[in-house]
Amino acid sequence: MTNTPEPVPIDPARESLFGRASIVWLIPVFALMIALVVAWQSYNDRGPLISIEFENGAGIAAGQTELRFRDVKVGVVERLAFAEGLDGVVAQVRLEKEVAEFVDAGASFWVVRPELSVQGVSGLDTVISGIFIEGSWDSQIGPIRTNFKGLQTAPLFRPGQEGLQIALRTTPGGSLTDNSPILYRGIEVGRVGPARISREGSFAIAEAIIYEPHGRLITAATRFWDTSGFSVSIGPTGAEVDFSSLATLIGGGLSFDTFVSGGRPITDGAVFEVYGDEVSARNSVFNASEVELIELRVIFDENISGLAIGAPVEFSGLRIGSVQSLSGIVDAETFGDSRVRLDVVIGIQPARLGLQGDASPEAALDFLNARVQEGLRARLASASLLTGGLKVELVQVEGAPPAQIIMRPDEIATLPTTASEIADAAATVEGVFTRINSLPIEELLNSAIGFLQSAQAFMTSEDLRETPQEVRALLGDLRGIVSSQEVKDIPVTINAALTRVETLLGQIENGQAVDRIVAAIDATTNAATSVSASVAGVPELIDNLSSVAAKAEAMPLEDLTTQLTDLLASADAILGTPAAQELPASLGAALDELNATLTELREGGAVRNVNATLDSAREAADAVALSSQDLPALVERITEVFDQASRTIEGYNQGDVISRDARAALRDISQAADALTALARLLERNPSALLRGR
Amino acid sequence: MERAQQPKEVISAKEMGVVACTRCMQVWPQEVEFCDRCGHRLVQRDIKSLQRVWALWVVGLMCYIPANLYPMLQTRTFFSVQQDTIVGGAIELIEYGSIGVAIIILIASVMIPIAKFLAIAFLSVSVARPSSVSKNQRQLLYEVVEYIGRWSMIDIFVVAILSSLVQLNVLVAINPGPASLFFALSVIFTMLSAQAFDSRMIWDAQQQGEGQVNNDEHP
Repeated sequence: MTNTPEPVPIDPARESLFGRASIVWLIPVFALMIALVVAWQSYNDRGPLISIEFENGAGIAAGQTELRFRDVKVGVVERLAFAEGLDGVVAQVRLEKEVAEFVDAGASFWVVRPELSVQGVSGLDTVISGIFIEGSWDSQIGPIRTNFKGLQTAPLFRPGQEGLQIALRTTPGGSLTDNSPILYRGIEVGRVGPARISREGSFAIAEAIIYEPHGRLITAATRFWDTSGFSVSIGPTGAEVDFSSLATLIGGGLSFDTFVSGGRPITDGAVFEVYGDEVSARNSVFNASEVELIELRVIFDENISGLAIGAPVEFSGLRIGSVQSLSGIVDAETFGDSRVRLDVVIGIQPARLGLQGDASPEAALDFLNARVQEGLRARLASASLLTGGLKVELVQVEGAPPAQIIMRPDEIATLPTTASEIADAAATVEGVFTRINSLPIEELLNSAIGFLQSAQAFMTSEDLRETPQEVRALLGDLRGIVSSQEVKDIPVTINAALTRVETLLGQIENGQAVDRIVAAIDATTNAATSVSASVAGVPELIDNLSSVAAKAEAMPLEDLTTQLTDLLASADAILGTPAAQELPASLGAALDELNATLTELREGGAVRNVNATLDSAREAADAVALSSQDLPALVERITEVFDQASRTIEGYNQGDVISRDARAALRDISQAADALTALARLLERNPSALLRGR
Repeated sequence: MERAQQPKEVISAKEMGVVACTRCMQVWPQEVEFCDRCGHRLVQRDIKSLQRVWALWVVGLMCYIPANLYPMLQTRTFFSVQQDTIVGGAIELIEYGSIGVAIIILIASVMIPIAKFLAIAFLSVSVARPSSVSKNQRQLLYEVVEYIGRWSMIDIFVVAILSSLVQLNVLVAINPGPASLFFALSVIFTMLSAQAFDSRMIWDAQQQGEGQVNNDEHP
């Protein structure tokens, strides 16, 4: 320690701070300036912070996930946090300043993720770079908004996107494939967004966009149809599988076409129906008011199966609509009991009723009401006998009790009904079977069996069996006659007869036979004339014959046939008897005897006699040839004979005389027959009498 | 300490009335302004060197802050992009179990630069004020700082080599982050700062310090 301070070297010419400062201080100052400028600039360039709420934060990372607009980065997620109540995730995104003012209330955000679908792969770049948030907003500056709700999927309509915005709805009972492309001639010209089911559940509706410039393809006459799936048809040209494209086969798709020209152009918001296939879409063009259906309720007392949704509704045989829905109804208040009734809602196309003018539903309803007062009623009728399907028919019922269409506000008008006309094929067939069943087949069989039994008893009786033996005895008698001497002498007798004929011919020769024959022919002509006169009565005869035939027809031929059959059976039985079997043997014996007789004849000079006889005959013929010169005379005689005959025929026409004469004649014939019988006996006893002539 | 105690009395060139050329080490009388051999300007003591030290030190420190805040490496793999700061990367390595590597990184990139800042600041301050640290120790510290300063660039080398080697386009790519530039600047400026320090000043201050110490030791 020293009290005397050391003389401190004082710099008298102390330079100023800047003078003493080294030039090197400029470096930190410069660095600081740069830092400050950079800091200020980055702060100045910062855009606003917006929050987007998503359902989940899959793949979103703070500081990395970008917000893109038209695939250009316009922001980055700064922070990821849970929303209030943990029911979502809020991503806070720092926007870039240049786009911040455009992000207004109309902006929408969604997360772009890699997506693999039948239409292709999208968002593949996000596999490498990670997902990003896509934003969409229009080019109008609007009021700033900082809180947004993120979308689940990319929206169909993006602001700034050019396209025709339409809606597509299903036909009743049809279906729709949503989130699918709209193809035109195989080219994707639009897209269908997600579909939603209408409040009543009767159809599905989906928004769709047709990209520019394809919007001009759509007019009011355009029809859409579903091209998903495929159709197989087998025809004369072979089997055919038809589908639009592999993508639509799996993922579905819609197609459209404008079948008729002249449709008016449409604007955003138009609604189209989607048909099941191209054919029905094409057909629908010609049913202009297809959509404008009148719905009517019909309540049937019968609960009859066979009526289905889509069943036809016919009016005078013309299909005017179809069944829309079916249900049961119990309404004790209206019907007075609590039976279940069939509640059918039918849809009628007014245009099909043939109404003139615009055919609005109201006009059609008025028309129907007028007709109902005249007796128009609904009824169930068979649509198909085979399947038992039913249809609803509107028919004019004469003298029907008065009724009218019941119309209540907010309710479907109810059409009165009448008794159904259902041809039940099953019931008819059943009736036929019942009748067949009731036929007395068993009794018939019993009678037949009884009849056959009695026939058998008759056939097997002893009397019938003895018949063959009697036949054999008869044959034995015949053999006796043939082998008798008288028979053997017959040729000689014939010879004598021929000699006499020869003599007769000689006499004829002497008479003028030919002249007579001519006369006879004349007489014959006359007779023929009279016969022809008598033929006039033939028609009556034919009538008689007809009636006889009718009677004959009326005769129980079937019985006869049956009896004949039985008889044949009996005959068979007879033939089966031993006696019948012996018949051939007896016949053989008889033939042997005949043979023997012939031998005897030959030995007895029969041949010679015959030769002589033939000679005589030749002579006789010669004589005839001679006498033919006299034939005219003979003819005259014959004419006389015929005259007499003619008179006799006339006499026959005179009635009673005939029967008397006929009776006398019959008596004579009878006597002659007796005489013949006597002769036969005589011959039997004494055959030689034939030759001797007494 | 041994070394500090051995030279009992150090007589500086200033006290001898000579000045050494800092470039060719030729000793000249104090009156000579320029070295005759190499033409370098002869300065007894570079008073303004301290200002240069401080100025460069400040720039080095300024650069060191963003070097630690910004990512050093940007690793882009197939699925993700990873950006690591120096400390963050070291912590991640510890989590993966590579403690040795992490320690090396922490020593080379964090401890050494910070120690360098502190050492330079201490030396600069101790020149002007009495210090309890002996002149020999301070001389040693200065030599260590000068020697070790260049090794801090190892980080930059690693980054440069990785960035040039690992460039497999889609699969993996490593790019230097913004921190690498700041880190390199920080190392450069601290090295310049250390170089700007005129170590001869250590010995001037020592005399003052020793006088005080001596007075304390001998009542």
